[in-house]
Amino acid sequence: MTSDPRAFLAVDQGAATTSAALIGRLAHRWRVIGSLATPAPGDVDAIGTELVRRVHAADPDLADGLGLTTNGAPADIAALAADLPRLVARSAPVRTLLAVAVSDRALEPLATAARKTGWRTQGASLDGHDPFQLMASILDRDVNVLLVGAGDPPGADERRQLDELAAIVAGAVARRAELTVILAGAMADHLARIEPTGAARGGEILLGPPASAGDPPGEPLRRLLDDVRGGPDDPRRAAGRITAALADVLDRRIELIEIGFDGGLRATASPGVEGGEGISQVSIVADAALVPPDPDDATVDRVLAWATISLDRHRLRDRLRELRLWPWSGIAGDGARLRLAAARAALTVLMEATPDQSALPAPDLVVVAGGAFAVAPGPAVALALVDVVRRPAAIAIAQDHARLLGALGVIPDPNERRQALADLVDDVLVPLGSVVIPAGIRAGASAGRLTVHAGTGASDSDLVPGGLELVDLAPGEVATAEFTFRDSVRLGARGRRFAVDVAGGLGGLLVDLRDVPLRLPDRAERRRELLDAWQESLWVTRDR
Amino acid sequence: MTATVRAGGNGATPRPHGRGLDLVARRSLLSDVAEVGFRLAPGDRPLVAAGDAIVAGTTIAERLRDPRLVDVPASAADPDARSGDGWSSVGRPLARVRRGDEADSGELIYEHGGRWRVAVGDHLEPIDCPVAGVVRDIRPGIAIRVRAEGRALPGVEALGDPTSGRLSLGSDRGDIRYGRLRSTSLDVGLAGTILVIGSRVDAEALTRARAMGVRGVVVSGLAGKERRDFLASEARQRAALHRLPPFAVLILDGVIRRPIAGPIAAILEALAGTTVAISVDPPALVFDAPKVRVDRPPADHVRVRSGEHAGEEGRWAGLAGIRRFAGGTFLEAGWVVFGNDPPRPVPLADLERFV
Repeated sequence: MTSDPRAFLAVDQGAATTSAALIGRLAHRWRVIGSLATPAPGDVDAIGTELVRRVHAADPDLADGLGLTTNGAPADIAALAADLPRLVARSAPVRTLLAVAVSDRALEPLATAARKTGWRTQGASLDGHDPFQLMASILDRDVNVLLVGAGDPPGADERRQLDELAAIVAGAVARRAELTVILAGAMADHLARIEPTGAARGGEILLGPPASAGDPPGEPLRRLLDDVRGGPDDPRRAAGRITAALADVLDRRIELIEIGFDGGLRATASPGVEGGEGISQVSIVADAALVPPDPDDATVDRVLAWATISLDRHRLRDRLRELRLWPWSGIAGDGARLRLAAARAALTVLMEATPDQSALPAPDLVVVAGGAFAVAPGPAVALALVDVVRRPAAIAIAQDHARLLGALGVIPDPNERRQALADLVDDVLVPLGSVVIPAGIRAGASAGRLTVHAGTGASDSDLVPGGLELVDLAPGEVATAEFTFRDSVRLGARGRRFAVDVAGGLGGLLVDLRDVPLRLPDRAERRRELLDAWQESLWVTRDR
Repeated sequence: MTATVRAGGNGATPRPHGRGLDLVARRSLLSDVAEVGFRLAPGDRPLVAAGDAIVAGTTIAERLRDPRLVDVPASAADPDARSGDGWSSVGRPLARVRRGDEADSGELIYEHGGRWRVAVGDHLEPIDCPVAGVVRDIRPGIAIRVRAEGRALPGVEALGDPTSGRLSLGSDRGDIRYGRLRSTSLDVGLAGTILVIGSRVDAEALTRARAMGVRGVVVSGLAGKERRDFLASEARQRAALHRLPPFAVLILDGVIRRPIAGPIAAILEALAGTTVAISVDPPALVFDAPKVRVDRPPADHVRVRSGEHAGEEGRWAGLAGIRRFAGGTFLEAGWVVFGNDPPRPVPLADLERFV
């Protein structure tokens, strides 16, 4: 970033998508020139070539200005693209962790820590398994990492069988040299027994803190599990860094929500104080993938609850399995709406897995990212988010449309990362709009009045309980929304009159007067109609 | 699709060209090396050693149907014994298992409290390797891996147990890509074959095929309900005392109904009558037929994997840029020529090419 090149490629090699953005230096700042995404594993050279070719086709002078010519001529575009420096983020493949403990009670905090750090998590204890089953579970080749834990000191229910658990683990570790083993809490005392003597091992044996240690409890173990899971250029590992940098650059509380092929991510960050770096909290939940590897009844039910297309359970399960096999398949037509229903279901899982982050103050800006939201129109994406994430607050929503945050997050130097983001932030984030969600609206003909004062004038509208009120507010435009409610409501604080600064976006200003949390009809047909009606107003490009 | 733009019309219409094929997802047609895996559970007994050359049909291991753990004194095993080693009471006067358990051989699982726990069982089932090759790796309780001779045609999933048989296209060769197997069309004349079904099969037909002695089925897609019913049938088979020969279903594409891809169908047609195997790990059709010539499709041959034209194949004619498709989605698209029709834009996401 600090060297001579006037253009580079920011590449994100995800599990389902390979994307690249051409970044160029224009007027002393970095700008996003163009981006392109293809199903993974995509050919980055081909993507780069196409991006450079499009620059040449659209604006030869720009290409020349970015140094994408040879002596002023567009000689060999493929060679020019191949020579571009690259900033690459590579998603670490999702791996399976087996958490093992003597009792189910001791197992729970271990499994919880693993679930929040992106591991596909399984659990087994001597409570629920006989030793033979437990050994078979550890020897399963799909298990990549074994987390064996006990309290420190071990609880009364653990002491009696801790030695036998260590013996079983030692037996399995002797057979699987490639297995990475983490001994947490009092299990570390059994290291000498578990570590094979004299044998060469591919996998590491690590000592970790007890699952309940730290503040908040489990945080040190989570940090260790995160270190073990992610590679150095894994964009999800970098999510905390980039969200904190974003909070610093924009000086706002930020929440990054990503739903991808292999999991969901929720990162919250606040700006740093006195020049320090922003503070962030990150949860990566493998269960919050767009579609889990083998969609079960619960997954089908969750998606069915949000589906606006009429499908029976069998056909829906088939569509989800197909989506898992070929994540980009059937992307047009009702496939786009199915993906958004699956995204809502995954968001539900993500929110349920991260109650501690929901308890934090509402963010000023929510950034959505990930393949789940890649093809739907921006306003429909914003609606999908507020359907699930229902906090009584006024928030702005933006989208990482070019999948750049992951790549920028892997820049190792914090100052350089912040500087790059400061240049690029307006190009990286597409504003989807602002959402105002008052809670505690009572049923009736009118909940009050809304007046929006924008640069182009003021508009006045009635607030109808249970509905969505849309106000046109173009991207880049700012306005003040004055609410006068008939009864007292919660919107950050409790009151009847509020004045909120809002920013425009593709979806404008969305005033969401529906229930908090959202209540949907039990009857499938009625629910579909209602969801469809809500989407109809925001899926502005759909066929009519 | 709501925005079909035909090339070659008025001057404002973009003209197709061959650029951008590299952006279409690649799908491997054949791999030259096939390494086949066989899962083992603790207690299963490998019968081969790493480096052994084996022929198709060799029993490489025995599976314990009813594994249980028994205790033996640590003194009844070698002092340097380790988990995964075999154990036998022969020649060990101290090797007496605890009262109530009868066993004279098994696999050491773990040592605890001065005793080894040993996996033993009374009923063994053979695990046969359906391909010829060389045993690469044996890991007791985990897996055996065999480097198979020949080539492999990959699928997306295989259900059942590894198996082999003569590849049969069924009675109607015209149906190889689009065909559907009905249970009434099966007879014992197909015993010992691996049947290429085409695009669709139901669980009843799979069950009947197995009962008729068919060894396996190759199908483009298997719906979730049929998959679940077949797996339940497999579970019942495993529980039965007298098992039928191994049977497998190789799924080439996925879940929804679509014809077998033309280049794959061409390979299957060339292999008709040849002995082939279905590998479950990885899911693939493995064959050792050096004389069978496989012509790769032209480089610009593309297939629509999903979406409005799912299953259709055509010729790549260049990038079409961002286009509006059904449902109001705007997607990167490519021009594809189907037959003699003018080029049509298809989302890049729905396309694949064979390499």
